[in-house]
Amino acid sequence: MQNTQLCYLTIIEAAAALRKNDVSPVDLTEATLKRIQAIDSNLHAFITVTADLALQQARQAEQELSAGKDRGPLHGIPIALKDLYMTKGIRTTCHSAVLENWVPDYDATTVTKLKEAGAILLGKLGMHEFAFGGPSVDAPFPAVRNPWNTEHVTGGSSSGCGAALAAGLCFGALGSDTGGSIRTPSAHCGVVGIKPTYGRVSRYGIIPLSWSLDHAGPMARCVEDCALLLQAIAGFDAKDPASAMVAVPDFLCGLKDGIANLRIGVPRAAWFDENLGVDEETETVFNQALEVLKSLGATIIDIDGRPFSLARKANQTILVCEAYAYHEKTLQETPMKFGSSVRRRMLEGAFLSAADYLTAQRARSMLNERIRANFSQVDIFAAPSAPRPPEAFSTMDPNEQNLRPSFTNPFNLTGLPAISVPCGFTQGNLPVGLQIAAKPFEESTVLRVAHSYEQATNWHDQRPVLE
Amino acid sequence: MAKEITIEELRTMARRAGLPLPDDELLRLLPGVKRAQSQAAALRELFTNAAEPATIFTTFKIDLK
Repeated sequence: MQNTQLCYLTIIEAAAALRKNDVSPVDLTEATLKRIQAIDSNLHAFITVTADLALQQARQAEQELSAGKDRGPLHGIPIALKDLYMTKGIRTTCHSAVLENWVPDYDATTVTKLKEAGAILLGKLGMHEFAFGGPSVDAPFPAVRNPWNTEHVTGGSSSGCGAALAAGLCFGALGSDTGGSIRTPSAHCGVVGIKPTYGRVSRYGIIPLSWSLDHAGPMARCVEDCALLLQAIAGFDAKDPASAMVAVPDFLCGLKDGIANLRIGVPRAAWFDENLGVDEETETVFNQALEVLKSLGATIIDIDGRPFSLARKANQTILVCEAYAYHEKTLQETPMKFGSSVRRRMLEGAFLSAADYLTAQRARSMLNERIRANFSQVDIFAAPSAPRPPEAFSTMDPNEQNLRPSFTNPFNLTGLPAISVPCGFTQGNLPVGLQIAAKPFEESTVLRVAHSYEQATNWHDQRPVLE
Repeated sequence: MAKEITIEELRTMARRAGLPLPDDELLRLLPGVKRAQSQAAALRELFTNAAEPATIFTTFKIDLK
């Protein structure tokens, strides 16, 4: 098998190959490290590559598998982490000068779980600084570039996760999502990412952006791989005050059960046309995706988009207040250590009142109720993952995103599980994502719908030309 | 609805908040602050006094640790 083919295996394929002795964990790790060295200088997906650790972990996995000690499907699989996951003894920067050389002394709960599952850590991935703002031009590390066209952004804030997966630089990744930071780069890079229900995956040891909106979740090249990664990291954690004591189902079980008779709510009216509205090409691709879902047996039902549209105002108010509260001391003492984009967004929180924050939290209660009330008539919601394709660095306008509908914010505000799955390309060959959201703790449903769609199309098999 | 914040008010609030921001930075900040304040104001139209915030303290979580 050629190096590129090896690096683009799915986790499921790689796990099967490992167990047939067609490849070894060391083969997978060496191939990926070689590819990172060859092409990441153009993408900047990685901030830190932990080559020595990865090879050591790969050799250990190889010995364990040879000895019949099988830790499960992630054993021997090279993965990478957004650089806000705390890793004991490994620099964790949040892509910021503020934490440029900070080395944590413990692991995030999710990192511990991946280690226990036998995954191999390739390194830490670039992101939007502190998971906020936009691609930084004034951070100590370069902005991540989109493998489909390096003149374009990846979307964020889990930018490195999206780029590394699309470029075959890792087999799975963990991102985080406070307003769309898993789903947007997944859509823009043509990969799959799931934001689980709030409380499903521990946030312990992940640098916060906004405590009440932050979600941790996996990204991968196909839905089944996301399900495997989610299985490994989900579950109650007493160290996370928001962790939910809810049983974790088998996310792979039922994945192939299809979507006959599924009722899909599309909140188009009064949301898709908000301000500048959704980009025309994106909406066309989304409508084609709905036709595929219909052909698989689902019914499309139009629902009121107003509460979804209002969710962005509440989400952003809560987010800037909580982000400012977390970073207040650093913003007071050394504000210029932050990049300009993230600094200005965080500082907005300094000028909102306690009443503004509580108003947003009251709106959250009300919008949560109104959005969830739709589940009396539909099983899931569908929307584009992003309102437009990834923009070019040269024409990037940070204000424009506020004039487009946010398709991701409502599911942070409500905590509902939501996935982005590749659903096509623009004429300029930039990926577009389909977003599916379901009831609380019904990750199995979003995975099943996304998997059904994925199996009926071949968008997830497309690869960018990099060499 | 409260009137829009001015640069003078922003300067005073920044000083009170202990934020050492020069005037050029405050000027760049002003449009974002106006947008954030107008978003928060728009949310006030949404609900009646019966609505409680989605921030609930539960003693049980602490007991579980």
